[in-house]
Parts: sequence; structure tokens; C-alpha cells
Amino acid sequence: MHPPLPVLLVLALVVAIDAGCLIDLIRARVRHLPKWAWALIILIQFPLGVTAYLVLGRDWTKPAVPDSKPSAAGPGPAYALPRRRKADPVVIEVDRLTKRFGSVTAVDDLSFTVRPGMVTGFLGPNGAGKTTTLRVLLGLNAPTSGTALIGGRRYQELVRPLHRVGSLLDATALPAGRPAWSHLLAVAQSNGIGRRRVREVLELTGLETVAARRTGQFSLGMKQRLGIAAALLADPQVLLLDEPVNGLDPEGIFWIRKLLRAVAAEGRTILISSHLMSEMAQTADHLLIIGRGRLLADTPTAEFVAGARHDVLVRSPRAAELAGLLTAGGAGVNTEDDGGLAVTGMDQAAVGDLAASRGIAVHELMARHASLEEAYLAITGASTDYRAGSALPEKPAAAVVR
Amino acid sequence: MTASQLQDAGRAVTAPTRLIRARDVLSSEWTKLRSLRSTRWTLGAAAIVTLVLTAVVAESFAAAPGSGQRAVPFDRLVTSFLAFAEYTVLPVTVLSVLVFTSEFGSGLIRTTFSAVPQRRTVLAAKAAVTGAAALVIGEVLAFACFFLAQAILTGKHGGLSLAHPGALRAVLAAGFTLAACALVGVGVGAIIRHTAGAIAAAITVVGLLAVLCLALPAPWHTRLGRFTLPFAAYAEVSGHQPAGLLSPGLSLLVLAAWPAAVLAAAAIVLTRRDI
Repeated sequence: MHPPLPVLLVLALVVAIDAGCLIDLIRARVRHLPKWAWALIILIQFPLGVTAYLVLGRDWTKPAVPDSKPSAAGPGPAYALPRRRKADPVVIEVDRLTKRFGSVTAVDDLSFTVRPGMVTGFLGPNGAGKTTTLRVLLGLNAPTSGTALIGGRRYQELVRPLHRVGSLLDATALPAGRPAWSHLLAVAQSNGIGRRRVREVLELTGLETVAARRTGQFSLGMKQRLGIAAALLADPQVLLLDEPVNGLDPEGIFWIRKLLRAVAAEGRTILISSHLMSEMAQTADHLLIIGRGRLLADTPTAEFVAGARHDVLVRSPRAAELAGLLTAGGAGVNTEDDGGLAVTGMDQAAVGDLAASRGIAVHELMARHASLEEAYLAITGASTDYRAGSALPEKPAAAVVR
Repeated sequence: MTASQLQDAGRAVTAPTRLIRARDVLSSEWTKLRSLRSTRWTLGAAAIVTLVLTAVVAESFAAAPGSGQRAVPFDRLVTSFLAFAEYTVLPVTVLSVLVFTSEFGSGLIRTTFSAVPQRRTVLAAKAAVTGAAALVIGEVLAFACFFLAQAILTGKHGGLSLAHPGALRAVLAAGFTLAACALVGVGVGAIIRHTAGAIAAAITVVGLLAVLCLALPAPWHTRLGRFTLPFAAYAEVSGHQPAGLLSPGLSLLVLAAWPAAVLAAAAIVLTRRDI
């Protein structure tokens, strides 16, 4: 790859002008030039030279090929690393962590524990402080107060940290001009990891055929895989992944879910952040929900799902009469705008039986489950930093799934 | 000694005891440096342009009417390094700035610092690798420039040989200057983080400060100027000590002091700031 012709021409011109100046300086006339003229010539030459070299040094490859996935990065083989040492469980403890950036409090007195042997989902709207918390855990940001420990130690105190903690903060943070292989190798070498292992993780993530390509040409999905490959380099006991499924195709999402499950089953500690509730519900065993830097919920996923609102919708031409009966039967009844009754505390069958016993016709009878998104919004609603304007309905949660 | 004690001793030897090994970080940085194609491109172009312009300069110096002693600002030694001073020093400085700023720009620096949380170790490794590469390139090119220029001058006014007093020092110092400028670039990149600003600052230290000093009134332009990198380098490479400048020995100190100061500042700044 070389720069386009016009660029080369401009460059040649710059060099020619420069050469002319130099020759001119050296020929006899030079001594008549005042000092300020010299200074001027050199002052002009510096920026010219720098521009020239910046232009030349740029990466002149064509922009990324939009194609991405299947051929190159097919579904990687299932997670199959040799099971080394017996899992030695590591707990992540965040204790009264506060991080301020100027007047903005990104993380506010946050405390939680991440336990080994399961996938913990770190959930919150954009700007809730997820990434900041992860950065503090990784020793990249210094906490304003409080502590964030991995296995009882600060990240900076870990011996060859990649052997302990694998992390993926931003999949797009890659050296565009460097081949994937070299990038991984550089990361591996810094922690004394060999080339064989680099090849292994490339295979594991299905990237072995594109390892020689420069990362600038990768699609987002491939970058995610490369990031995960880097996180798995030293087969670490702890995985910290920030939005690992962003940009992955369904196949990739399925792959990573399987991988995380397998890794968790080996007794490792896994913390993955996301702002997508539905994704977390399928991947995580435990949920940490935060908003505006505060902990809103710390609960097993199953419990969170079970705790979500559910009721029975019933429609009847004799709605008022039925409502009376249901209330008398101990159920909670809400009349909705369109005349339907939202019944809580009584299941579908019981509502139907009750109506039938009085000969009340029922036109519609269905159990409704609030989606997880609703439950999530109900918790985080008050703490969202960036909310859509009033053009949207006040209660997005009102969109009930039927 | 019991068996278990022996076992313990064995484990103590095999388990890594230090947080990070310098050799590992060095090889990692070396991989990074050599795997960028644009680096090779830029260096190749710089070398070619430098050699061509050195030949051009030597030719025109040789052709100048009554050159030799009368061409005051240019003695035969300095002539060898005129093109080197611009077309090698500048691109290498820019590339060195990019060593840090490119990682800050792409966010890759977080990967680097989570692999090696000891930020000063990373700084030292980057500086060592970049400085060593610059030193090798600088010495090779400096020798090439010297021999090329002197070969062209030989026909006309008599070129110098390496045995000429000061010649060897000048050539070695030219290469060393390149390493010093590269280290300044690495340090400035770590401090300023943004490519454009860092390049502007590095170029100021490496070149423009001297130009600004030139514009000062009479005694002051050398009194201050002799502490800048270009003047120190000039004192090293000129055959006879120019008036007002420091001696070659002291100039060498100046050449070493700039990168040392910038890297020290970088070490302080790097550990204090969030990434």
C-alpha cells in the first residue's frame, strides 16, 4: 500500500522546495541573509516536514471490508481449554467505592461482591457507572474513596495480572495498523505467555484464518472475538467483560453465552456488564443493577424474573359485576382504560371458574407477564441520566407484552 | 531437609515472584514497534530522502565559490549532517510521539496498562525500545551521511576521514542526538496524550526552541540557545567549537538532560492520572 499519487507529488514538491532552500543557503548569497530570514525559513520548514511525514506515515489501506463474519469467523469450537490447576475461587469485592470526575459522581458509595462459579451480570443504563467501576477494578482509574479488590488484592498488586484476570473493556480499542496476531502476541509477551497459547486462543475464538489481517479491517464482531481472545490468553480465574455481546451476530452471542457458562461451571468468577436486560436474563445467574453509580438491586436472576409483575386480563360484557365477584374472592382488580380487568392475586383458571360459576360470559382471558425490560425500567427509571424527551410516552413500561 | 521443604523450595524458584518481568515488557514493546507497517514506510522514506539530500548538499557545498574556510556557517563536518538534522530527526521524533499517543487515541493504552499495571515499567520499556531503535538507525545513517558527503567533497576540496580530529565524535553524536530526540518524543507523548498537541510540543523542544532563541538579541541568542537540543548537537558535530556554545562534553550533557527531564516528568504524570 502506498499513498495516492497526488500526495506523493505534494511530498516531492515539499522536498524539492526544501532542497532548493538548502542549496540556496549554502551558495554565496547566504551570508547576506539576515538572521531573521534564516529563522523564518527554518520555522516554515518544520511544519512542512512534519506534515509530510504524517501524511506518509498514515495507514493508506482501504477502509474495512464491510463483510465480516461467517466465512472468516465462524462459530468457534466450544470452549475446550485443558483444565489446569484446580479452580482456586476468587471473589471480587467492591467496598464503598466512590469515584468522582470533577463535580460528576460516576460511582457513588457502591458495594457489592461477585462470587465464583457463576456469571454475574452488571446491569445499568448508559452512564450508570459500570465502565468506571470496571476501570477502577483494573487499576486504570484511582478511586476517590473505597476499595475494589480481586481475590483480596488491588489489581496493581497482582503478579502478572493476565494470569489472574482477563478483561475486555472496549473491543474497538485496537491498533488499526497491526495484524491481529502481532497485537495478541504483544499482549501475551508482556505477561510471559508463549506463542503457542496465542495460536490456541485464536483458534478458540475462530480467528485463526484472519490472524494475519490488520485489526483495522476487522468488523465489530471480529473485534469482539479478538478482545475475548485477549481476555482468555492466560486462562484466568476471573473474567471482566464490558458489553461483550455488543456487535456480535446471533451466532456469536450464542457462542459467547455457551463459553461463559462453561467457564463459570469451572468455578471461575465472571462479571459482564450490559445495558440490555433481555441479554443478561439469558446469560447471567446473578444480577447487579446500578443506576447513577448506586446499587439498585443485587439479586439472583431467577428471583428477579419471578418478582416481575404478572396479572390476568379478563374481558367480559358484565365487567362491573365480575369485578365485584373477584374482589369478594380476594383478588385485586383494576379496571383498565379499555374496560378490561387486570386481576392480580388469582390465576387464570380461578378467574375463569369464578365467572363460569355465575354464568358470566368471558370474551378474553389471559395471563400477562411484564417483560424483564419493564421490571428493569421500573428499577432504573428514576436513575437514568439520559432520557428521551417528552415526545415519548411518560411510561414506556406501559407497553405490556401480550 | 525434608521432602516437603525441598518441594517448597522448588516451587519458590518456579513461581514468578516479581509482579512483572522487565524482559517480558520489553519484548512486548518490541513486537509492537516492529509490527507497524507505516513505521517501516516512514523510516525507509526518511532514510532515502536524508541520503539524497546529503548528496545534494555536499555537491552544492563543493560547487560553492570559494567554499571551505569562507563558507562560515558550514564546515565540512556539519555539511554531512544538515539533511540528517531535518529529514531523519523530525520523522523519528514524530514516530516516537506516536508510540504513546496512538495508544491513547485508540484506547489500546487500557489494554496495555491492564496487562502491565506498573505504568513506569511500560514507560521505561517503550523508551528503551524506541531509544535503542533510534540509536541504531541514527548511527547507521550518520555514518552513511558522513561517508557519502565526504566522498563527494573529496574530489573538490578534500573530504575528511574518520581519523580527523572530532570527526568520529561528530558522527557518533549525530546518532546519539537522534536517540535523544526519540526519547523526548516518547516522554512528550506520554504527557500530552493527544497526537497533534504532542507533536507540536515535541517539535518545539527538538527544534523550534532553538529557532526562537536565534531571534533573541545578540549575546542572548547563544547564552540561552546553547542549552537547546539543536545547538548542543551543533556543538557536537562542528569541527571547531563555535563561539558562545558549550564545549562538546557539556553539550553531550545537554543532549542527555532533555530526554531525562521529559521522561521523568512523564513518569510522574503517568502514574497520577486516570487512564
